[in-house]
Amino acid sequence: MSLKLIAKPNYWGTSIAFLSIIIFFPIVALVGVSFGDSDGIWEHLFQTVLLRYIVTTTSLMGGVVILALLFGITTAWIVTNYDFPTKNLIDFILILPASCPAYLVAYAYTDFFEYAGPLQVGLRSITGWETASEYYFPEIRSVGGAIFVLASVLYPYIYLLARTAFLNTPESLIEVTSIYGKSKFWNVSLPLGRPAIMAGVALVSMEVVSDFGTVEYFSIQTLTLGIFNVWIGMNNLTAASQISLFTFLFIFVLLITEIKSRSNRRFNDTSRRQRNPKTQKVSTKKCLVLIAICLIPVLCGFFIPVMILIGNVGAFFKMSDLSEIFLILRNTVFVCLIGAIIIVAVSTFLATVAFAHGNIILQRLANIAASGYAFPGTMLAIGVLISAGLVDKLIAYLFSFDFIFFEPTYISGTLTVLIFAYLVRYLAVGYGATMSGLTRVSPNLSWASRTLSNKFSTTVMKVSIPLIKKSIVAGGLLAFVDIAKELPMTLLLRPFNFETLATYTYQFAHDELMDQASLPALIIIMFGLLPVILLNKLLRN
Amino acid sequence: MRKTIANLFPFYLRVLLFVIYGIFQSTTASYSTEINIYSHRQPFLINPFLEAFTRQTGIKTNVVYSTKGLAQRVKSEGENSPADVILTVDIGRLHVYSDMKLLASIESDILAKNVPNHLKSHDNTWFGLSKRSRIIVVAKSRVADSKISRVEDLANPEWKGKICSRPGSHVYNRALMASMIAALGREKAKAWATGLVANLARRPQGNDRAQVKAIFEGQCDIAIINNYYFGKLKYSEDPNQRKWVENLILIFPNQDSNDRGAHINISGGGVVKHSKNKEAAIRLLEFLSEKQAQEMYGKINFEYPVNPRVKPYEIIAQWGNFKEDQLPISTIAKLSMDAQKIIDSVGW
Repeated sequence: MSLKLIAKPNYWGTSIAFLSIIIFFPIVALVGVSFGDSDGIWEHLFQTVLLRYIVTTTSLMGGVVILALLFGITTAWIVTNYDFPTKNLIDFILILPASCPAYLVAYAYTDFFEYAGPLQVGLRSITGWETASEYYFPEIRSVGGAIFVLASVLYPYIYLLARTAFLNTPESLIEVTSIYGKSKFWNVSLPLGRPAIMAGVALVSMEVVSDFGTVEYFSIQTLTLGIFNVWIGMNNLTAASQISLFTFLFIFVLLITEIKSRSNRRFNDTSRRQRNPKTQKVSTKKCLVLIAICLIPVLCGFFIPVMILIGNVGAFFKMSDLSEIFLILRNTVFVCLIGAIIIVAVSTFLATVAFAHGNIILQRLANIAASGYAFPGTMLAIGVLISAGLVDKLIAYLFSFDFIFFEPTYISGTLTVLIFAYLVRYLAVGYGATMSGLTRVSPNLSWASRTLSNKFSTTVMKVSIPLIKKSIVAGGLLAFVDIAKELPMTLLLRPFNFETLATYTYQFAHDELMDQASLPALIIIMFGLLPVILLNKLLRN
Repeated sequence: MRKTIANLFPFYLRVLLFVIYGIFQSTTASYSTEINIYSHRQPFLINPFLEAFTRQTGIKTNVVYSTKGLAQRVKSEGENSPADVILTVDIGRLHVYSDMKLLASIESDILAKNVPNHLKSHDNTWFGLSKRSRIIVVAKSRVADSKISRVEDLANPEWKGKICSRPGSHVYNRALMASMIAALGREKAKAWATGLVANLARRPQGNDRAQVKAIFEGQCDIAIINNYYFGKLKYSEDPNQRKWVENLILIFPNQDSNDRGAHINISGGGVVKHSKNKEAAIRLLEFLSEKQAQEMYGKINFEYPVNPRVKPYEIIAQWGNFKEDQLPISTIAKLSMDAQKIIDSVGW
């Protein structure tokens, strides 16, 4: 195709390439580390644990994706397609688990489900059983337990994206299915929602692969846990970064396969828009069933863990904790806000320009830049550390010339580095949301604007961005919540004396002091609720 | 539309100012009376020491706490690193810093006097500041305490399905494994680990606290823990946790007159090679090795002093005197990789 939305391969393309490379640099730094000598560790790994790591990671990821899809799509379809009382409330509460960090939910559930937890104690008092050997109870610290915990908090990614996709399904196509007596779910909504749903699946699988907190607590031997055993246990960062790159490639291949398999299809909608898709009225009995189905995931991912945490706080609450937490809250708001704004700006820029530019290499670059999500936070943080160190060396070199009179300012250990790290890690969240918005907008609209001799920048500002505004803001809100929950990068990259809610909680949770950790943990969750509520408002209007 | 974009502009401008403010706020340079600490120990445990230090010396302290990766941070920051002091909670992580040549060699009479030779590096780059012993606890009613007197006994098939442990690859267990390699040699140490794993009541999981809880719940009868967890639980604010240790017996292993003594690990520290405040940094380490701080280690965290002139805190003294393994602590760090390999192959 010779026609292009952007007239000449000009500075637009260059700036995308430049930006992508900067964002990708920490990963390049990790690749650099991985070229060192791994000290023959791979032979040892092959012989002992590697297979176990791979099998566990794959089954964990598969399990979480399946359960999250089940939770996310079922509920999204029910809420979109049926009309029943409390529907708006259900729609609202379904995304609440997005504000819960997985590892805190894991802590809470362990307390609840284990032998001395209230559930088994209750069970024993009802049945008269006395010891663990008299009955079977599933072990929460297991792969199954981790699948349950991770899927319960991660399904909102799929729910949100699927719900938006279902809402935007052209009514005309749905009418066609009813004419032919076919299922509108299987034949129209689901296939059309595929880019959005797969974007959700991609986020979920990347979260799972990079999760450390939950798998460490449950002692599940995934690749990420292996990375840490090799790095900390064998003092071998080289081999650790080799494993993390291997994991990354694994995810990458999966994503490419999915994108390739849909590359010949078109998902955008050129038909006349109808704002309110028709919903089905249902009988009272069916209505109760639907509500019950919708309540399961949100109970698992939000209400039960929150109740457990509240129970812990009630017992050990001190007023003096609150004043300390207030300062920490301020820090958290600060990094979340700045991080989310920068992520939104960069991802909108990358997505709109790369999409319009048509140059396949630029699109690939932008995609790669958004892949930091698949790395364990700590490994990514090390890549960021190395990059920041290089920048500082450059600064020191520049300031070594005699004609510069003022003192150099280094970036290492500043918030700049931390915010950059958030950008590297969570660009995927903003970028994914923006892209799924763009694929649903017909490029004809942009063409029309260009035909009216508007400049490309004007077209983007006046046509593309307003059309995908919702997706952009949704991406920003998700990034905000993700940053609020983020732990390993914040822990390692933060400036001196800088606590966020997550780091503050961690110092207690790390020692399994759930009583002290529960209050800040609850505040993280409550804090994440605000953007989640906004997100919900945004999607419903 | 033009209007909305115009409205957005001042907003972006405000955000930009906000960012600049944030950057400046975080880069405000440290004064000569401040030292910067990278700590592997949680703030709520280290703060009382630092407050006492500031009261005594007038030197302000700034802290970054992280469990992992701080050595990489010091390394990438290189000569520009703001860090002055490193504090860790085990020998493994301390050794990583000296292995990467990130620590300065320190001349200090006070440290030389206060820290015994086997608890510091031969080149004076790092110093142990407190000791913790890896001990065995057993359920009073279910195990006769005379039956277990050595760590080696845990591999005895008699205890099949009776032992609980956190994962082997945790630093504390890895260090114990390394001490077994040092004492028995690789082959025998591996055989011991195989026997131990065969005796586990459940897949290794949780931290040391969780093992005590498991004994209380009846999932197992024997666990290996760091001594201070016993104290933390026994004097916990939470009445439930106090109950967990009520029926436990605490065993310091390998105490026979011709045996090697119980395995110990250290928390410790060092001064960063590129520190701009070495003098103040050394003062902090010295302060931590002196009487006041050495006593605090016991009171706050139930740890043992390294300083031979300071008596253990009375509560931990009540648990009994014990003989420590005199193995140079640096040997444990050097055997860490071998230990991890055994742990991987026996699936601990």
